[in-house]
Amino acid sequence: MSSPTNVGRYRIVRNVILAWLTAVVLAAFLMDIPRINILEHTARNLYFHVPMWFTMMSAVLVSAVHSVTYLRSGRPLCDIRALQAARVGFAFGVLGLITGIAWAKFTWYVGTDVWWNFDPRQTMAALQLVIYGAYFVLRSAFDDPERRARVAAAYNLFAALTVPFLLYVVPRQLTSLHPGADGNPAFSDITAPAMRLVFYPAVIGFIGLFWILYTQRVRLAAVRLRLAGDAED
Amino acid sequence: MQHWLTGTWSVLAKDIQLEFRTRYALNLLLMFVVSSVFVVALGIGRDVVTPGVKAGLLWIVVFFSAAIGLGRSFVSEEESGTSLILRMNVRGSMVYVGKFLFNYLLLLAVDVVTTLGFVLLLNLDVAQAGLLALVLALGSLGLAGATTLLSAIIARASNRGPLLPVLAFPVLFPLLMTVVPAAVAALEGGGSWASAAGDLRVIIAFAGTVITGAILLFDYIWED
Repeated sequence: MSSPTNVGRYRIVRNVILAWLTAVVLAAFLMDIPRINILEHTARNLYFHVPMWFTMMSAVLVSAVHSVTYLRSGRPLCDIRALQAARVGFAFGVLGLITGIAWAKFTWYVGTDVWWNFDPRQTMAALQLVIYGAYFVLRSAFDDPERRARVAAAYNLFAALTVPFLLYVVPRQLTSLHPGADGNPAFSDITAPAMRLVFYPAVIGFIGLFWILYTQRVRLAAVRLRLAGDAED
Repeated sequence: MQHWLTGTWSVLAKDIQLEFRTRYALNLLLMFVVSSVFVVALGIGRDVVTPGVKAGLLWIVVFFSAAIGLGRSFVSEEESGTSLILRMNVRGSMVYVGKFLFNYLLLLAVDVVTTLGFVLLLNLDVAQAGLLALVLALGSLGLAGATTLLSAIIARASNRGPLLPVLAFPVLFPLLMTVVPAAVAALEGGGSWASAAGDLRVIIAFAGTVITGAILLFDYIWED
């Protein structure tokens, strides 16, 4: 955890990220983009929807790594990190799902009244959210903090084992409309260079936002652990 | 190795012996299956249902039976206070594998009764009985492997309730999405052994991954 000497540096990094993200959001709405039929201005969603997935995947990775280190070391801080990464990642996943559903409704499924059509990536993201939902419910079923941490870490890793199967199983049964899948043109082929100028900084900015939220929640939980002997709120 | 096999066998034999005394778990599971088959049959009524829907319903009954019926395997040890004796006498992996084998046997009984119920009440047309039996046997392997570990988790929880289905289904989605098409291939007009080969490989890989992961993670749940 950052000691008081690091607080100054932490604030600088945080402010840089917030300024960066503000610039990204402004550019996302104001910069000119190529107009494509049907897509039109919804293409700006690229700057929000796709970084949400990048961020959620990073959060899933952070959470799984800290579950492993918890089982190895038994340090309460590792469990706090695994939980908070999962929580913030869950929030980004929900945002990614909402932006994706709204985007698909008005482009892919335009004129069909369909909101949800079991696109493989959509399905996998939804299942990852369900896994985390079960992980949160499981945590609330324990009173003893140490036992809760150990069992939750084991469940987190056990559930992570089954996710790679989805990569194989899901796309074979349902075809994807996402770029880069099933012979659809890859992302780099259909994205205008001007849009990449905003897209990549947006990915960095949202992962930075995740880092701010995650570190602050970890610090809060660590304080709670020191004061109350239990990090759970 | 010899020692490990003896330990595993003794856990399995103990569970079988206890089960024959009360027949609680078996009766509970079979009654659950029978009543859910009736629920499905009466819910559908006289409508004509495609083989795909029948296979899906069959597996849903099996999944729910596993998620509800197998939850007791570790809870009963905690309730009777015998888990400490198990911990003292045998290693965690022996407990897991012994319990897993016992649950697998129960699940095979569930498979048989569910399939018979579907054949009788829902006119399930089985074209390749061997393929259906193989799909059920292999699918139940992964199902029992996952639910056994998760029932050990809920036995440690302070508020148990109906926690097992909530924990099990997110983990079992990939299995459900493979066993249903594989079962359809065994039905009339569904497909053949060749068309189910890919799914069968996924089912075996899933069972292997889940059981290996469960053995690795079991000690963290089991030991205090």
